[in-house]
Amino acid sequence: MEILERLFNVALIVATLRTTAPILLVALGGSFTTRAGIFNIGLEGQMLLGAFFAVIGTIFSGSPWIGLLCGVAAALALAFIFALLVVTFRANEVVVGLALNILAGGMTVSLLKAIFGTRGSIFGHGLVGLPVVRIPFAKEMGWFGQLISGYTPLVYVAFFAVPLFILFYNRTKLGLYIRVVGEKPEAAEALGISIAKIRYTASLLCGVLAGLAGAHLSLGYTTMFTENMSSGRGFMAVAILIFSAGDPKRILAGCLLFGFSDALSLRLQTFGVSSYLVLAVPYLVALVALFALSYRARPRIIQETLASMGRALQVKPQSAVEPPALAREP
Amino acid sequence: MPRAIELRSITKRFGSFVANEGVNLAVERGSIHAIIGENGAGKTTLMNVLFGLLQPDEGEILIDGQPVVLPNPAAAIASGIGMVHQHFKLVPSLTVADNVFLGMEILKGGLIDHAAQIERTAELSRQFGLKVDPTERVGLLSVGIEQRIEILKVLARGARTIILDEPTAVLTPQESRDLFETLRGFVAKGMTVLFISHHLEEVMEVSDTVTVLRHGKEVATRPTAELTKSDLVQMMVGRLVSFDRRPRAPVAGERVLAVEDLWARDDRGLHALRGVSFDVHAGEIVGIAGVAGNGQTELAEVLSGLRPATHGSVTLGDTSLTGLSARAIRGAGVAHVPGDRLVRGVDRNASVSLNLLMGRQDKAPWSRGGIIDRGYLAQQSKALIERFDIRTRSAAAPVKSLSGGNIQKVVLAREFSGDARFLLVDQPTRGVDIGATEAIHSEIMRQRDAGKAILLISVQLDELIALADRILVMFAGRIMGDLDGGAVSEERLGFLMAGVDEHGHHVEREMTS
Repeated sequence: MEILERLFNVALIVATLRTTAPILLVALGGSFTTRAGIFNIGLEGQMLLGAFFAVIGTIFSGSPWIGLLCGVAAALALAFIFALLVVTFRANEVVVGLALNILAGGMTVSLLKAIFGTRGSIFGHGLVGLPVVRIPFAKEMGWFGQLISGYTPLVYVAFFAVPLFILFYNRTKLGLYIRVVGEKPEAAEALGISIAKIRYTASLLCGVLAGLAGAHLSLGYTTMFTENMSSGRGFMAVAILIFSAGDPKRILAGCLLFGFSDALSLRLQTFGVSSYLVLAVPYLVALVALFALSYRARPRIIQETLASMGRALQVKPQSAVEPPALAREP
Repeated sequence: MPRAIELRSITKRFGSFVANEGVNLAVERGSIHAIIGENGAGKTTLMNVLFGLLQPDEGEILIDGQPVVLPNPAAAIASGIGMVHQHFKLVPSLTVADNVFLGMEILKGGLIDHAAQIERTAELSRQFGLKVDPTERVGLLSVGIEQRIEILKVLARGARTIILDEPTAVLTPQESRDLFETLRGFVAKGMTVLFISHHLEEVMEVSDTVTVLRHGKEVATRPTAELTKSDLVQMMVGRLVSFDRRPRAPVAGERVLAVEDLWARDDRGLHALRGVSFDVHAGEIVGIAGVAGNGQTELAEVLSGLRPATHGSVTLGDTSLTGLSARAIRGAGVAHVPGDRLVRGVDRNASVSLNLLMGRQDKAPWSRGGIIDRGYLAQQSKALIERFDIRTRSAAAPVKSLSGGNIQKVVLAREFSGDARFLLVDQPTRGVDIGATEAIHSEIMRQRDAGKAILLISVQLDELIALADRILVMFAGRIMGDLDGGAVSEERLGFLMAGVDEHGHHVEREMTS
């Protein structure tokens, strides 16, 4: 019992919220493109570039806020290139996304070398993170105060964005048009809604959020930049987007699941469980969740696979007798 | 009074292909004007020009006597023209009201005012007698209601002239009649209706004026009252064609196919077939009628081995076909002309002769020791192309270079030249023009007279009445009636297709699985 108490407490929830925030930001960004009908695998690269330029901007200006803007601008530039290639030149989304991810990875490494002459990671150099928000009276509220206070600003942004996103998709014109362009482009076209314009807008909005997610990684979650520090969060966001179909509520649920297993695995390390095993936990959870959800969402493919397997294995009946595999209808 | 619409010598080219050549069209205000022609006659192109979807290369457009330029649909809508497309452009996850007001949302404080949109939609629906529930999600509604929503969309934008592209293709006869009633209501209110069709009966029934197009040119524009059905056909095709019931001698053959209490599920896992039983005899054409989506597709797939049955049996002569693979079923003597020829009928990129070979490439004399006999194939292809009058540059031309009717002839040539006893023929003339339709019908009749047992599935009632000896009507996965093809009326078929049985009781559609 004591172990469970040490494992599951308010601190674990706080850790969950912390680990959820970056992936929630990038996944919400991806919901713009997902709902506009673009399979955006380039989230990872946009996030990484955002993280890098947020650090660069902070070091050169001394202000993490200017750094944040630099990070967003960099991610936005990458998002613009993505939109240009995918929407205007109709290149394959997966190829472009992968290429830009590789570009972002390589670019950050070589710029790190060129500017600071090092490899690996960068901290110090006058790098300051975003200030921690201390909500007044939080101290008097006990465990609840502990839960709501003391995060960096982008954690609040991430969670407050969820209801705003729900409102955006249900009640605003742009939100509605993004949905229509993704679900039924012919309908949009027939009504004079420009598909290209909406897809550009969605891609750029996605870039802003991915940039914020990156800046949060390097200025809020930590105060440093490490090579490949997005470490698959962008891809995890893509996975969450596939099973949530871009719906903000389900994105939140998926991100919390991932954040929780991430926080739990960090906890387990302190209990002496092998770190390699523990680090695999969030990915295993995500895989299982994905499989469970897609199993339900894609009955047809699975049905057909099972049916054809069944037929291949079945002994062919030669008489008019009903094969035993066929059940009477209720 | 100026005309509602006037098109003057419109020409539209796509590369070297001329879709419309100097077409004139004058539409009087307050009339229902039909535009009729074979597939590829240029009807849809002309309407797309009028709706601003395409720009004419030559010619001018006048609306209410004023020359206009319509660079996009928005300009056409602004001049009071609305179009209901053949393929509906509705968003399934949105409500009826959201779909109606899509692109012209009612806003309050910068946010969409759903309540006001619902109220306005209900108002329009009352005013024009188009019954819909504004709060329902479109994805759950039937095609007939979807069409009403498309019309409401056009009305909400203040259209005074409404273009309908093949509006009845997806409707039951009763739904079509309701639609015509609505259209007559529109013209009574002083609106104008332009109506594209290749269904002669409808045009005769509902229109005031007809314009006939052939090969991109206007052949004639006349008041409908002055014309007969055969006049129209002659103008459309350029020669005389008969669509009456084909004469035949009774052939009483033995039972070839027996289907007993067949059940199957559709792709969503719902029951699409609910206890279907029937026989097909040698020398008999049994027709399956029904509105698309009542189990006909699943029936064809089960019979051809492409979909498993959950219960029941299929027997060919003395052989059970239940549970056999598609290949084994073909081997047992079933030929299949699939409903969607481009998906399951042909390989579009392969040549005509390879498509004629497919399915028997491993059998002598087509191949020997695993190697295809090219000489035999070439000789057979030549003979089949000639016999079935397939219009192609050569036997080596890819199938995709052929017209729809000729692609269908390739499928028929392959399926009808084997030694099958039972022919499963699904929508043989879908999207095929009148000339080719006639040839395909003749070929089906020849197969019947040769003693084949034929199951003919079609959504076109005139086709079934022309060919079938017996007509079975399917509704919601069941067979509603077994009618004599020689004595049946379209009205009777229509009631059964809508789920109303002999005694006038409405059969409920069961949605449970």
